[in-house]
Amino acid sequence: MTRYLAKRAGQMALTLFLIVTLTFFLVQAQPGDYATFYALNPDLPAEVRAQLKESFGLDKPLWQQYLVHMKNTFTGNFGVSFGHFPRPVMEVLAERLPRTAVLFLTATAVSFYIGFFLGKAIAWRRGGVLEYAATISGATLFTAFTPAFGLMMIWVFAFKLGWLPVGKFLDPLIWRGAEVSANHVFSYMLVTGAAFIVFAFLVLFFFRRSGRIGPAPLVAPIIGAAALAIPVAWGLSDIGFLALDILRHMILPIVTLTLISFAGTMLLTRNSMLETMREDYVMAARAKGLPEKVVRDRHAARNALLPVVTSLVYSLIFAIDGSVIIEGVFSWPGMGMTLLDAVRSEDLPLVMGSMVFIGLFSLLAHVIVDVLYVYLDPRIRYQ
Amino acid sequence: MITPQPDHHVVIGGPSGSPEPPLVDLHPGRSQMAMARARLALRSFRGGWAIFVESRIGVLSLATIVLFALMAISHPILMATVWDAEVYDPVTGYAFDRLEHPSPPNWRHPLGTDPLGRDVLSQLLSSTRSEFILGITAALVTVGIATTVGAVAAYYGGLVDSLFMRLADLIIALPGISLLIVLSALFKLNLFYLALIIGILGGFGGTAIILKSQALSIRVKPYIEAARVAGGGHSHIILVHIIPNLLPLSLLYMMFTVTGAIFAEAVLSFLGLLDLRMSWGIMIHTANTGGYLLGGTRYWWLIVPAGASITFLCSAFYLVGRALDEVVNPRLRRHTA
Amino acid sequence: MATVREAPVLEVVDLSLRYQTRQGEVQAVEGVSFELAQGQSLGLVGESGCGKTSVATSLMRLLPENAYLAGGQVKLGGTDLLPLSDDEIRGYRWRRIAMVFQAAMNSLDPVHRVGQQVIEAIEAHRMETTLADARERVARLFRMVGLDPQLMDRYPHEFSGGMRQRAVIAMALSCDPDLIIADEPTTALDVIVQDRILRELKVVQQELRMGMIYISHDIGVVAEVTDRIGVMYAGRLVELGDTADVFRSPMHPYTAALMSSFPSVHGERLPLVGLAGEPPNLIDPPAGCPFHPRCPYADDICRTEFPDRSFRGDNWAACWHPLDASPLSEDRQNQDF
Repeated sequence: MTRYLAKRAGQMALTLFLIVTLTFFLVQAQPGDYATFYALNPDLPAEVRAQLKESFGLDKPLWQQYLVHMKNTFTGNFGVSFGHFPRPVMEVLAERLPRTAVLFLTATAVSFYIGFFLGKAIAWRRGGVLEYAATISGATLFTAFTPAFGLMMIWVFAFKLGWLPVGKFLDPLIWRGAEVSANHVFSYMLVTGAAFIVFAFLVLFFFRRSGRIGPAPLVAPIIGAAALAIPVAWGLSDIGFLALDILRHMILPIVTLTLISFAGTMLLTRNSMLETMREDYVMAARAKGLPEKVVRDRHAARNALLPVVTSLVYSLIFAIDGSVIIEGVFSWPGMGMTLLDAVRSEDLPLVMGSMVFIGLFSLLAHVIVDVLYVYLDPRIRYQ
Repeated sequence: MITPQPDHHVVIGGPSGSPEPPLVDLHPGRSQMAMARARLALRSFRGGWAIFVESRIGVLSLATIVLFALMAISHPILMATVWDAEVYDPVTGYAFDRLEHPSPPNWRHPLGTDPLGRDVLSQLLSSTRSEFILGITAALVTVGIATTVGAVAAYYGGLVDSLFMRLADLIIALPGISLLIVLSALFKLNLFYLALIIGILGGFGGTAIILKSQALSIRVKPYIEAARVAGGGHSHIILVHIIPNLLPLSLLYMMFTVTGAIFAEAVLSFLGLLDLRMSWGIMIHTANTGGYLLGGTRYWWLIVPAGASITFLCSAFYLVGRALDEVVNPRLRRHTA
Repeated sequence: MATVREAPVLEVVDLSLRYQTRQGEVQAVEGVSFELAQGQSLGLVGESGCGKTSVATSLMRLLPENAYLAGGQVKLGGTDLLPLSDDEIRGYRWRRIAMVFQAAMNSLDPVHRVGQQVIEAIEAHRMETTLADARERVARLFRMVGLDPQLMDRYPHEFSGGMRQRAVIAMALSCDPDLIIADEPTTALDVIVQDRILRELKVVQQELRMGMIYISHDIGVVAEVTDRIGVMYAGRLVELGDTADVFRSPMHPYTAALMSSFPSVHGERLPLVGLAGEPPNLIDPPAGCPFHPRCPYADDICRTEFPDRSFRGDNWAACWHPLDASPLSEDRQNQDF
């Protein structure tokens, strides 16, 4: 297992290296000279220009520039953003990254769960109305034109029904006079969320099979109590209403991203289930007199999960693209919108920086999938 | 089991239906061989078709694609016969007969006009043609590359194989739309370049991996060995035996590529990053920049026809691909027989 | 053997099973009847596709979705299992009838620990109340089949073929069933392991006084472990008798042919040396005796009417022209089985 993970880690480092190289040469290959463009940008004061020119080696030959670029990238120096001058690219990205991560991870987790749940259900009862309905609506959502679908969601839930805000990260009216910054509140929210997930896992881990037959009885109440305590604690704090505002802005993008991405997992799970359902161990499980639900979940679906997790990489990358589009539509100030704005305003340092980070995101997706796979398949775990 | 389990890797179409016996006749006439191949191909095509039509969704989707194809053909005909270019040209036309734009559907403009006074139906139909050109070009490039790469990598193995597979790993690790967004910022992309880039990314990417693993399973079949014993050279075996057997799966992945290409074009056009004359994405982009999208149902004709066309054509190609998957992959079929 | 008659633990009456396939309806099992006393073992033999596995799966009502029971009764301790609801039959599975599957290698789920897969059956039938007791039970079962109890926390891929086979047998014994069905449980193993496991299975079966149905195409293996033997052909039971009697003097020509196809050490000649032809197509079975197209003794009545049973003591064969206890067969009396 260690060797497997080490090999994968090596491959990923190589991939990252290639992504950085690729962005560098793409930018070099574009019509017009990046070096001149960078150095002549009127947004920058003359002394900054001179300084940049030196630190990026813009007067040196291409291969030296490349080496400097590599060194800078891996030390986190992406230069200064034209558009957000004088903030360094890294600072802009550090602010935007968690916002995308939350959007993307929540939507992916929820859509994976829903997709897997529906997929196993429609495979188990083949040919039912549910199969037709789920396949058609799933494929339609999956291939729906994401921007149009996002705008439709905004129109229905924000304009017509008025339940949720139209877009963006927060409502300036609510935040006027607030003593804390949005990033401050948001990072507290992130910590709370992460702590809750860790807590839930620990509870599951400790109470799993406490020596009796049947499910452990305390798990659901404990996690439920924690889930209730969190909003109460936030409500009592003086920044609770600010967090609520951010939360309200998060709902629509997350729901939209979930809706467009669950179908991929669903259709894949269905196919994978149809194959595992023919396996002998599923027949054996049924012969043992296990309830159908146990046969389906513990045996058929549990094995069907393996190929689904393998291609989770594709779903995650699909979701990264999806979140870029969704952020554009909902004006959610994350990595995706940063990239779009940078592209529109020809803020090349920021374009390169966000591309590298989006590449990092997809590598992260690979890592998650690898670790999950190792956890799920004992044949790899014990090798 | 009462009936024999079908081979997991049986491939329809091409001469693969039954392992061909190349040793039966040592000097068959070329035309005779071709005839026999054609007959076999026809038979397995019929068998595949019978399975395909069992999937109602697949047939419905195929009908949708045909409908869109008819729409694409109808535009030049309409322009040549009943539509006056000054009014109905999708890009430069202007509907003088209306005082306000965008104007709702009426008998002269069945889908109304856009904010710039152009006929929406004409835009929709002319875009259909571009979408087909884009989708099919991208799919042909993808499948052309992927089939060659897959067959070559599987046949030769070794360094060639690992080189292509590492490249594919790299490409699938990249989020495609994001990469296209970056590329469109750096270069001016038109329809042809877009199709080419999508095709190259797909062809060296995931599709190559899938076709390679299929080619690997073909490579170990007895008839390949027989062909080698009979004195077939490398290129002969790859061209005559491996590639034809990859075609059904290639066809399947062409469908998925078309979906991806149309989708990517629409997203990039919507974001205003492409250099195209007219497309469904641009129609929505025009409506969006004019602020008409959030008018909701009031200006429905600006968004619904184009949005629905993208969705329907994309999902039609996708669902045809899935129905083909059931033909190509016997394990997904309902009955074992 | 088995001369003392007890009330039958299992009574199968006129069981018929059909499969629906694209080509038509397959009559996989047709009018099969037999009884099994407590502690008795019955072997079912026949060529592949003769319906022996279908009989086994219908006893547990584990039918594929395209199969249906066309009639008959399966009485276990007096209760007919076939009309029971899905929930009711679940209580019988494993608790009353357990099964060692044909592909025992694949009947362990690769992602769960072996012991856990036994425990879940114990849990489902509430054989124990605490996890510790359940584990103790698994340890006992493991020891009974010759496995180290410490292996219960291992995964199936860490087991050798023989170990997996033993684990599967332990699993089948976990809920003290009245009847155990073994469907070619040792085919994938090498001869020595196969023989050892077979003997152990027989010992366990006799110790626990379970009924056993042993299914195999290998009549020699069946003879080693069973009291009675049933020969199936084309979905029908064609001969049923005490194992020794059937071996000494088979009544049905098919049984004789089946025996002659397994070489004997003494190499003496038997009535039929080989068996020409193929088993019949069960979608459209031949009229009369299904064996008549391959039978050297067939005459007009065989071609038109299904044979009545000819009895010889407790043994019978469905044949118009049962073989006599011929001198050639008398020779075989002296052999050990």
